[in-house]
Amino acid sequence: MLSPYRVVDLTDERGVLAGQMLADLGADVIQVEPPGGSSGRGVAPFFADRPEESVYWAAYTRGKRGVTCELDHPRGRELLFRLLEDADFLIESSDVGRMAALGLDYGSLHERFPQLIYTSISAFGQTGPKAHYVGSDLAIWASGTPLLMTGDDDRPPIRVSQPQSWGHASGDAAGGSMLALHARHQTGRGQHVDVSAQVSAAQATLGQVLAYQLGASEPERFAGGVKQRGIGFRVSAEAANGHIVLNMAPGPAVGHFANHAVQWLVDIGAADPSLLEENFRTYADRVASGDADPEIFPQIQRIMTEEVVKRSKEEMLEISIKYDLLLVPVLTIVDLAESKQLEARQFWREIEDDDGRRVTYPGPPLKIFLDGEPRSGDTRPPPKLGQHNDEVYGELGLSATELSSLRSDGVI
Amino acid sequence: MTTANNLPDGNGPLAGVKVLDLSWIVAGPTVGRALADFGATVIRVESPIRVDTARVVGPFHGDLPGVENSGLYGNVNAGKWGLTLSLNVPEAQDIFRRLVRWADIVSESFTAGILARWNLDYPHLRELKPDLIMLSSTLLGQTGPYNQVSGFGSQGAGMSGVQYLTGWPDRSPAGPFGPYTDYPAPRFALTALLAALDHRNRTGEGVFIDQAQAEGTLQLLAPALIDYLNGGPALDARGNDDPQMCPHGVYRCRPPMGRAESWVAIAVADNDQWRALAEVIGANPELPLAHRREIQKEIDAAISAWTSTRFVSEVEEALQRVGVSAHRLSTTEDATNDPQLAHRDHFRRLPHSLHGETVIEGPRYILSEAPVEPARPAPQYGEHNVQILKGVLGLSDAAIEDLAASGALS
Repeated sequence: MLSPYRVVDLTDERGVLAGQMLADLGADVIQVEPPGGSSGRGVAPFFADRPEESVYWAAYTRGKRGVTCELDHPRGRELLFRLLEDADFLIESSDVGRMAALGLDYGSLHERFPQLIYTSISAFGQTGPKAHYVGSDLAIWASGTPLLMTGDDDRPPIRVSQPQSWGHASGDAAGGSMLALHARHQTGRGQHVDVSAQVSAAQATLGQVLAYQLGASEPERFAGGVKQRGIGFRVSAEAANGHIVLNMAPGPAVGHFANHAVQWLVDIGAADPSLLEENFRTYADRVASGDADPEIFPQIQRIMTEEVVKRSKEEMLEISIKYDLLLVPVLTIVDLAESKQLEARQFWREIEDDDGRRVTYPGPPLKIFLDGEPRSGDTRPPPKLGQHNDEVYGELGLSATELSSLRSDGVI
Repeated sequence: MTTANNLPDGNGPLAGVKVLDLSWIVAGPTVGRALADFGATVIRVESPIRVDTARVVGPFHGDLPGVENSGLYGNVNAGKWGLTLSLNVPEAQDIFRRLVRWADIVSESFTAGILARWNLDYPHLRELKPDLIMLSSTLLGQTGPYNQVSGFGSQGAGMSGVQYLTGWPDRSPAGPFGPYTDYPAPRFALTALLAALDHRNRTGEGVFIDQAQAEGTLQLLAPALIDYLNGGPALDARGNDDPQMCPHGVYRCRPPMGRAESWVAIAVADNDQWRALAEVIGANPELPLAHRREIQKEIDAAISAWTSTRFVSEVEEALQRVGVSAHRLSTTEDATNDPQLAHRDHFRRLPHSLHGETVIEGPRYILSEAPVEPARPAPQYGEHNVQILKGVLGLSDAAIEDLAASGALS
């Protein structure tokens, strides 16, 4: 879909997903690295069979072409300008101020490349009192408020063990860039898209970031559930071989799922059939008016917990589908790799690189159909350092002599 | 480019783009919110019977639950026009089909198969409008053996691995805050919809997008998945531990008056940052990463000893001044007073007919030449029914009365 467009991707590990999102939609994305390699090539984990090769970098450069270009060198900057002549997007995630120091910030480039959409990803944004703060996954998650809401209430708050902050920011960078493309269709001009990872992280709070200003109570962390006004509600329960997530509560929005759970418990003989007469969509109101027994729901919760722990999480998923419960297994990385659902949707893609090595990757994030026909979603392997220098710079019309001169100057 | 008498175009890059938003809760509505922010005309179609869960989840105005009080609903639906339709009523289906002809984009998040039951799924809608762009977004996607799994609450976190990966090694998973798959999914969907719109405008081709929200979250776990799939270890939850950073954690600070606790996040990425931190807290500055990892507990204790007697504002400032990544764990009160979020004008106050005023978040990015001013708060139930039925479809008062009598609207 985005095949007419070219992206010059200057990001490091902090923004590298953004360009991939555009590549997965068909854009020609050129990952530009310094000749010594991006700092992203040093980010863990590393391939089991190639301990010098970053899985992280491979994960997010799949689908792109790769060139090297030393932006600290004047000839490198000239080379970048050549690249930008044919580019629609530039995406960067360097420390705030670095691009300006090189004369490559939006303000410096806009006049020369008025159509260029220039997207900057940073921890806190390009301007403001914290623009020069040192960012990190953990500090960003802290500043956007989700960190304080997460974890066991008797221990310090925790993040997700696979860092998330820059991924959310990169996702916003891709969306913001596309909005700027539509603006360009209107005005003919590119513009600057300023993404703050702090703001992106605030998305991960289910709107609770607004709590104080609405006069609502501060959310509190509670392991395996939520806590409201000091009362914890667990949604996680133990199965025979791991955990499940179960939302079972009375109320108009979800009470019918509790009714379904009672049906299952009655069918397996764990609950008395008389409980089928209770309707949990209206239960809370009837408890309040004294027309229903407040002990019934806790009793069902107890029986449910006792029955779940006897069964595997896979068995519970089958029961959940059959009875329409709000219950799913807590999948581990191993479970995901073996997931029948992901297999049926051909989510995993084995991609062969130029050395003939086959590596399995998650496929594109969406299944897309054009005029009713599925897009292939096929994708190229992650580029090795400078792999497409000759190809890409050749397309720009650079001669072999020029390329070798750039090489000897340490530019590529 | 006037869409209709009573539904004015918005301002911005998407002015004139028409969106029919049937999605609910968070993942889908967040996409419609972004489209509305940047000028699209978005009609949010809601069931008058099945309450959108976002309406019964807080934060609530004044902490008071109520279907018109939810700050979550308000945040993901601001700028849209509200229409109630009972899609199981034939007259409502008819209205819906007419609105599809009006729309450029249809966004929906029904359980896979539900729209097909009413002949309103993509193959049917495509017959009505061949160049339609349609997003169907569910937890696990339109196809596959588990496409019927109901996905809200915390189901997404469980099915995407994030529940499992948020916790301590010696405890059951704690899980992230809320339905995690709702956070990455809108980014992938929005980007693809905007690409689809561009594609349609150039080629005239319609586009269908099948989104499994969990598969979006898996993109953010890609390194862990690829590692395991290619012979590496399977990642488990590890608290705040990081293999390449030390110290790396959350440390207790001196709570200000009226607060039970106060925390700071500190992440040290390299030896220079460690030297800077060590000088501030009075530790040995010449310790390489491997050594620091060995004595991590001692380092954590030394940092805690230093932070616990200080207010978090002082800690954050002292460490950032010397180039160490540190930030308070903001409460939502802290976020309200955060000078950086204020600088970005992140919180937007809007007049509201029930609450006097409400507050929503601004857009997630700043476009230098496309400023966003959300035009109106999220619609109340059926708030714009008449305006939409008259203005967009040209229905007469009598036709609207007949429609109401059929049960299509309530």
